[in-house]
Amino acid sequence: MKLKHGTLAMILAGGRVDELNVLTYYRPKSAVPFGGLYRIIDFSLSNLMNSGLERVAILSQYRNFSLINHIGSSAAWDMVGRNRGISILPPFKGSEKSSWYRGSADAVAQNLDFVRYHHPEVILILSGDHVYHMDYRQIIEYHRGNEADLTIGFVPVAPEKSHRFGVATLDGEDGSPGGRVLEYREKPEKSSCNWASMTVFCFRPEVLYEELSREVEGRENFEFGRDIIPRMVAEGRRIFGYKYFDYWGYTRTVEEYWQTSMDLLGPAPRIHLEEWGLRTNLEHRAIRDYQPLRVGAGADISDSLIYNGCQVEGRVKRSILFPGVKVGRGATVKDSIVFFDTSIGAEAKLDKVICDVNVVFEEACLVGRRRGESEAAATVVGWSNVIPSGADIGAGCTLYPHLDRKRLGGCIDNGEVVK
Amino acid sequence: MSREFCSFRPPPTTVVFLLAGGVGSRLNVLVQSRAKPAVPFGGLYRIIDFSLSNVMNSGLDQVGVLTQYKPLSLMRHLGTGEAWDFTGRSRGVKVLPPRTGSKDSDWYQGTADAVRQNLDFLQNHASTEVIILSGDHIYQMDLEEMLEFHRRRQADITVAMMEVEGEQISQFGTGITDSDDRIVEWEEKPEVPRTNLASMGIYVFSTEYLLATLERNRLEIDFGMHIIPRAIERDNVFAYRFRGYWRDVGTIQALWEANMDLLRPDSGISPQEWGIRSNPEADGPVADRCPARFAAGSRVSGSLISAGCRIAGEVVNSVLSPGVVVEEGAVVRDSVIFADCNIKAGATVDLAILDKKVVVGHGSVIGRGDNRQVPNHLHPKHLYTGITLVGKKVLIPERVVVGRNCIVNSEAELQPGMLIPTGETV
Repeated sequence: MKLKHGTLAMILAGGRVDELNVLTYYRPKSAVPFGGLYRIIDFSLSNLMNSGLERVAILSQYRNFSLINHIGSSAAWDMVGRNRGISILPPFKGSEKSSWYRGSADAVAQNLDFVRYHHPEVILILSGDHVYHMDYRQIIEYHRGNEADLTIGFVPVAPEKSHRFGVATLDGEDGSPGGRVLEYREKPEKSSCNWASMTVFCFRPEVLYEELSREVEGRENFEFGRDIIPRMVAEGRRIFGYKYFDYWGYTRTVEEYWQTSMDLLGPAPRIHLEEWGLRTNLEHRAIRDYQPLRVGAGADISDSLIYNGCQVEGRVKRSILFPGVKVGRGATVKDSIVFFDTSIGAEAKLDKVICDVNVVFEEACLVGRRRGESEAAATVVGWSNVIPSGADIGAGCTLYPHLDRKRLGGCIDNGEVVK
Repeated sequence: MSREFCSFRPPPTTVVFLLAGGVGSRLNVLVQSRAKPAVPFGGLYRIIDFSLSNVMNSGLDQVGVLTQYKPLSLMRHLGTGEAWDFTGRSRGVKVLPPRTGSKDSDWYQGTADAVRQNLDFLQNHASTEVIILSGDHIYQMDLEEMLEFHRRRQADITVAMMEVEGEQISQFGTGITDSDDRIVEWEEKPEVPRTNLASMGIYVFSTEYLLATLERNRLEIDFGMHIIPRAIERDNVFAYRFRGYWRDVGTIQALWEANMDLLRPDSGISPQEWGIRSNPEADGPVADRCPARFAAGSRVSGSLISAGCRIAGEVVNSVLSPGVVVEEGAVVRDSVIFADCNIKAGATVDLAILDKKVVVGHGSVIGRGDNRQVPNHLHPKHLYTGITLVGKKVLIPERVVVGRNCIVNSEAELQPGMLIPTGETV
């Protein structure tokens, strides 16, 4: 079966991210809620939809129930039809060797029969973990024009942050859309490279098949960034970098997740959900069944995003509320992100809190940073907790999901982790 | 093997006809380009969503929607019926417009005539009962319970009825019942009522009875006027008592009041708890509506705000549909604003209903003056309590002042600084 557009997209959505902690306790990183309504993978899926790339596979192995629910029939991204569809590819058992996915490259390698079946002209490999808006047709066109073996999307990065990314130096002149990759290093301790990989890879299929069929010596698992790309650079393959200058939100730590969320707010937001054509699955968690937000007579809301199904009687400032969140009379929610169906009782105070779904904050509890602690870290509350009245929980705390409410009743100091 | 595994799923035994053909002319500019059931309500919904969701939540899934007046908006809203779970091998929703044929080549003359012209739909779906309901009421009802009542009483017809207060009764078909809930007398829109029991326009018919009765006399074209009164004299007609929130929103005043009921938690209306679904896909958005955005300095109280709104000004006691923009310094009070309206900086909207995509220019005022008693001169029965109506896509330029009980039609062209006095129609 030949693909209409010639491109098969594969989204790497398998991972749990340790630094995100309890937010990825029951769901993969790509299914983490974002922006009052969406999941992080919606950015990649909507970019694909808006780029007219509609044959998509999602590689997923960690707790993928939430992700499978979210993808549903794929109709949300208009990917239902003869040449349109999203296939979720979990690890599987075969008659020969079978194993869990041992890294991003291994995940694709284990599904090469799926890939070959579609006879793609270009294989576009993406991460489902980033917040950005990109027309993939442009990088594919650049890739084709260069007759490249591999083209990688890059964003500018300050050298002191290069230890967090796969980084490269490019030989392109200023103003050109990109250039040859001269050097590529995965998360180097120190580097002078100033381009960071976005995990957007356009592969020439034969090259990908060949690279994935080769053993990587001394490795139990293998990754594109750490193993495949450095080897390809070393062996002189035609690898190009495509420069991307617009917003690119990274959400691998709690603080980054909080900061990227805050980029939705303020007088000049950096993330433009509707202009970007972002879509999500409104059937997931029955989002579409919620009625409009009900704002009570005494409410005070400023610089916030609030979705349908919420009820606000209290004060909400610089915060993001997902469907079904209730904020009681006299309660204050500030600099916080509150996921679906959480209820905040009267007179309760939340300041710089990221709270997962189905949490109950009882009346007058105090959670998060206090007056004067402007630099304090966010407190993260795992799902299905009850924070009793009288609780006094500090900044930078982590509360695991489903805790016994008795453990949360007293005073919890800044930075404590309750498991 | 247990019975569930070896037997087929029983075929549906009930067919639903949803009457969605009415003009609803008292809704004035709101029905200029759409049928009454397609009029937006409660921010996210259309009026017909309440009936459709009641059908869905009652487990019924063979539906014919009888349309005739400006059906495009309605048909787009229904789509495949997937929003109400009407898709699948044994489920379906069909739009049934009037059509020409060898015998039947007329517009629908009335409710019974509309069903009569679609007897083939009925015959194609084997059923024991037929439910006929109107697509223009705001309520929640378990139709399955009404069906059980119908079967228990071995009725030919069951009519859903509720008690209404005061003079309202003269707008309805009314029934007098005996102690057994059998309807013994019927009066259609009585001037001097003898009962407070009003028909809600929801009927259960035994299918055979309906087929026989519609074939008997083709001059009987209306259920309330002809079929029911005659049936009461000769056959078994019962009243199924309904208690709860129910509104006919066929007038501007009633539509506004029902919207305001949504703002009071004690009013007994809650689309979310009632399981009311709409079809947000109908307008084919390129993106999903993002959460409502509240700017620093916005002031909102006692209101319903839908996704996609952007509020920088003040909103009091109002219902906003998706995508409404209220700029800095603008005020919206006691109003119902349909989707994608834009209230520019410094503008005021007070006691008004704005149809979709209306732009209110800088510093303009919609609804000014203390004189709410002077009704609209052209339509004194439509607007008489102070509400001002603005039609779809009207562009109101800067510094325009519109009084009370005014109508601004869709085609209206206004000049900056214009004054439209109370009671005027443009």
